[in-house]
Amino acid sequence: MSRLKKHMTREENSKVTRRSARFSSSVTPDNPEPNPSHQPTVADLTFGEESITLDALLSSFPGRRSQILDLIRLIGPLDSPALPVMVYGDASTGKTSVALQVFRHLNRPFVYSSCRTCCSPRILFESILNQLLLHSKCSSNGYASAKRCDKPSDFVNLLKEALSSVVETLNSTKPERKPMGKMVYLIVDHVDLIKEWDKGTMILQFLFSLYSVLKMPQLGIILISGLPPDVYYSNVGYTDPLPVYFPEYSEEELRQIFLKNQANKKLYSAFLDVVLRPFCRVTRRVEELSTSLTSLFRKYCEPLDDLTISPNEDLKRRLYSNLKPHITSCLNEIFRISSRPLDGDSRGERRQKASYSSEKGEELEMLDFHMSTSAKYLLIAAFLASRNPATLDASMFDSTGGMDNRKRKRKASEKSMEKKEMAEQEAVMKGPGSFPLERLLAIFQCIASVGDSSFGEEEDEEGEDEATGYDKESKNMMSDILLQVSSLCDANFIIKSGSCPLEGSIRYRSMVSEDLSLKVARSLSFPLSKYLYRR
Amino acid sequence: MAPSTTVADPQPSSTTDSFDSNAAAENDIRIPKLFSLCAAFDTCLVFFVAAIFVLHKASPGSKSTATVKSKRRIESPSPKIAKKSEIESAEEEDGQFFSTLRLRVFETVWSKIDKTIQDVLRDSNSKVFSGIRDWICESFESIRSSGALSLSEAVRSYPVLSQPSSKQLFTALVLTSKNLEMVDDLLTFEDLGLHLKSQGCHVAKLSSMDFSAKNGVGGCLRGLLRQFVMPTVDVADVTILASWYRESGNHKNPVVIIVDDTERCSGSVLSEFILLLSEWAVKVPIFLIMGVSTAHDAPRKILSANALQRLCATKFTLSSPAERMDAVLEAVFLKPCSGFTVSHKVALFMRSYFLCQDGTLTSFVKTLKIACLQHFSLEPLSIMLEHFCQDNQLPGEGTGLLTEATMKHAFDLPSVTRNKITRSTCEMLPQFLLDLQRMPNPWSIVVLCIYEAGKFDKLRLLDVFCETLDPEARYLKYFSPSSILNSQSNVSGRNSVIRRILRKLRKHASRSNSKLEKELKAMTDKISAVIEFMLREYMKPVETVPFNEILCFKNVDKLQSALLGDPRGRIQSDLLESHSILNCLCCSQRGTTLLPSMHDTSILYALAQEHADVINLHDWYQSFKTILIPRNSKAKSKSKTTSKSKKRKERCEEPEPPAEASIQAVMELQIAGLIRMPSKRRPDFVQRVAFKQEDQFIRQDQ
Repeated sequence: MSRLKKHMTREENSKVTRRSARFSSSVTPDNPEPNPSHQPTVADLTFGEESITLDALLSSFPGRRSQILDLIRLIGPLDSPALPVMVYGDASTGKTSVALQVFRHLNRPFVYSSCRTCCSPRILFESILNQLLLHSKCSSNGYASAKRCDKPSDFVNLLKEALSSVVETLNSTKPERKPMGKMVYLIVDHVDLIKEWDKGTMILQFLFSLYSVLKMPQLGIILISGLPPDVYYSNVGYTDPLPVYFPEYSEEELRQIFLKNQANKKLYSAFLDVVLRPFCRVTRRVEELSTSLTSLFRKYCEPLDDLTISPNEDLKRRLYSNLKPHITSCLNEIFRISSRPLDGDSRGERRQKASYSSEKGEELEMLDFHMSTSAKYLLIAAFLASRNPATLDASMFDSTGGMDNRKRKRKASEKSMEKKEMAEQEAVMKGPGSFPLERLLAIFQCIASVGDSSFGEEEDEEGEDEATGYDKESKNMMSDILLQVSSLCDANFIIKSGSCPLEGSIRYRSMVSEDLSLKVARSLSFPLSKYLYRR
Repeated sequence: MAPSTTVADPQPSSTTDSFDSNAAAENDIRIPKLFSLCAAFDTCLVFFVAAIFVLHKASPGSKSTATVKSKRRIESPSPKIAKKSEIESAEEEDGQFFSTLRLRVFETVWSKIDKTIQDVLRDSNSKVFSGIRDWICESFESIRSSGALSLSEAVRSYPVLSQPSSKQLFTALVLTSKNLEMVDDLLTFEDLGLHLKSQGCHVAKLSSMDFSAKNGVGGCLRGLLRQFVMPTVDVADVTILASWYRESGNHKNPVVIIVDDTERCSGSVLSEFILLLSEWAVKVPIFLIMGVSTAHDAPRKILSANALQRLCATKFTLSSPAERMDAVLEAVFLKPCSGFTVSHKVALFMRSYFLCQDGTLTSFVKTLKIACLQHFSLEPLSIMLEHFCQDNQLPGEGTGLLTEATMKHAFDLPSVTRNKITRSTCEMLPQFLLDLQRMPNPWSIVVLCIYEAGKFDKLRLLDVFCETLDPEARYLKYFSPSSILNSQSNVSGRNSVIRRILRKLRKHASRSNSKLEKELKAMTDKISAVIEFMLREYMKPVETVPFNEILCFKNVDKLQSALLGDPRGRIQSDLLESHSILNCLCCSQRGTTLLPSMHDTSILYALAQEHADVINLHDWYQSFKTILIPRNSKAKSKSKTTSKSKKRKERCEEPEPPAEASIQAVMELQIAGLIRMPSKRRPDFVQRVAFKQEDQFIRQDQ
């Protein structure tokens, strides 16, 4: 096996050297072979593939005509200095693709760095320099960068050097495809992410002032951001970049985008007629839409044998009625999550359906993962400690084990309605309350003992439940409770919520929903609702 | 684990070797010759055995204190043991020889059990593993078929502009046995990684430690690069991964990243990481395997919406802990494995420990190991298990080890005296042992039959197993037709699962009377006849068989104390009764009074008992001082110290003996977690952390 692999790579290598010898003077970007000994040249700074005409560019981005023209205008004609440009707009509105395709159209050299990929200033700086210096990381150089660069000041100096050398080569080389120019553009994507870095504001300011600091007209700067430019300005005497706004797509534009690459346009447009309107109300991000529409379209086509037919009205109606039940669930999915267990094929979809129906019915009844009994009691105790006010603990868990607190609860619920509503709203705003560890353990002790005793009583009625005889032993088995608490913390059921400003001890907060805790209580046949304080 | 002192001690190896060769020689000799040979061998062994007898029979108390002591980690020479070792040092040496032998047998037996468990667990996972592998292969093929990238495309910094759906990241959500605790699954992911690696994938394993908010995305990316590219990488740059992936044939295989405990990861970092990887998903096809220990919607809870929509998730479910438990039980106790077994009480304890306390298979295996180790350290006859362990040998040969003294011990066993077997029936011994070896076989078959019949009720083998071990159960009574009518009156087995199954079987049989199918009726009749026969003939729990002590571990108290140390309660009660551990003469006569000769910490703790939740430091210190310094010499002390901070200052000037001691003691109490430091609001008070309730609890126990 390994010998075979070695053989194959050797063969590849020999092929590659032959090819690279031929292409060494002018590396065409459409080199089909993976080329380990690939030496990048200045030509690599342009957008690899064949340049496209303006018409093709405009038609490939429906609804982005004015933005494209704006951008081209702001970048300006060949070799003319340009002020920094900021492209901004919501996620998935085509900012990055438009910018890159514009440069493909212009066929000018550029350097692209995304702040998502480069997650620290050092990597950002080094990635820009690497591209300018035509340096590629490989095993022979230990995957190191061309220059080590941590600080913005170093970056300015290194950038100046690198730029001048690049411009020099640009001047000397004769481009085979016409417009190449003597300028390099720097595209920095996801600029908004820099705000999250430590010393992010400093880096941002540096990036915005780079143009004026550098004083090199050979560099054009284009920043792409998810946030509007107002967010960044801080009156520090640099020229504000010129904004280009990418608005959300309209429904019609989305239709054109989705129709673009479809094999059977008529069928797909019939599908979009049905689907697009409700989905547009939820989201207009192309990315989100395309994932859910793809799976939905697959379902839409399920009854069809021939995918090339153009549907008539009758067929459309039938297909729609077939699809209808899936639409609402898919809508929800966008809103929440698309990571439903899918197998990718029909088998998985069937399973998905099953899980949907079960979510409604059965899953309410039973807990679908394993917990030890004491962990369950702890979970309930934490839930109670978060829900109930601490002042009520004494009356809830007195020596009678909370058996007579039904009356008390009723008394409490006889408060006036407005007050109740107010309190309810307040509770929603506050979220679950926090509690010290001691209170959790005290409640745990109480409910664990009550749970045991009530177990016995219910046993008499049912006579079929398991595990009674053993629970008597469990009383003196509650030793490693702290371990259980920590594992509940690990599973995100309980979170540590900082320390109390007065006492200075760590407080906890239960994060479980009422549903889950009721489920857990039911699996223990513990009367949880009896202990819940209702306002 | 609390290894007993006798077993754990290092041994002179020469004696062991010589004994080994003897034992090996004896294995070839058949039973008739055995006793004559034994007699010769006896004379030299009697001495050793006597020693072991003294150790185990005569002084069970001293032994238990020894184990407890090692747990407490308070080392103090017990006068009892010291005296004994003087007198019987020679015998003990010989006893150690036997204990070495038992330790050796323990190791063989345990390694066999351990191997069985490992095999069972591996089998239970293998199906899911191959499922994951197939899924990776299929998805990888689909990615590759959609078109290969050229090198310059693959390593350049800007994204490949293609369909928006290409940013999807293939993700496997592996529901790790749906258990809250992760312990069982740590090794599972290790195995999964190895399995995928052997299939040619590039595998990296990240844990929640890598996804900490402190290190951010850079931290986990660095961890990833160090595993894939080379260990010296210190720049968290994805382009390195892309360049590496394009080198020397790496791109022929998929890249797999395993995150074993998703719930524990920092959600924001994991989301960032997923977004970052999905940007590069076209250039480096990455498969993410996320271990989820609660429910499959757990990622929904921790990940951001942006990250979630990049995941193209597939669900895989590992077997649940209860299923694994049943598989392990079946392999260890019900299939011929080592011969070692546990009594009804021990099984019940282990069951409740599993259900109520821990719920992990790891701790169950640990319990089993402790039980096994204690069996070998407590039961001299346990060495014979070695012969049960090896299938091809007759157990009779094991009697070669039976010396005069062990024989005496053997015939003193409760199971032997109960069955009225005396020394006179000594010749029957090989027969008994043979029975003992053969007995578990039909019994386990009956148990498995019942389990099989109970499967429709989702019955657990664990429950069936625990009940069938009960030596006092009357199964036939459950099964008899009359018991169905007045089943409620039968109080003893009210919650018996077996009764339920048998009743159902019988009902099934009676119901078919009304039906037309005669055949079915005949069949159910036959079935019930068979079951009745099986129950009557073979349903003999191991504890009813003579000499079962050789196989069966019974001491549930020992197991419980070894497993549930209750360290907090222990510390508190020991602090109150420190003289019983220190065994000093000066404090032995104290009743309820506190003596100055007692340990400072324990005096302070005893004094703290008199206070409520908060303790006034001043009062506490004063009462401490009055105990240490009798009233008449008190005139010397002048300054009153109130808070601890003040005391510290004072220590530099003129250290007052009780003050210094009290600082030390308070500090120790604080470290032990029994009191909490004074807060800023009330600098004169410390808080008691221990609960009243817990205190009462401990006192009840004592």
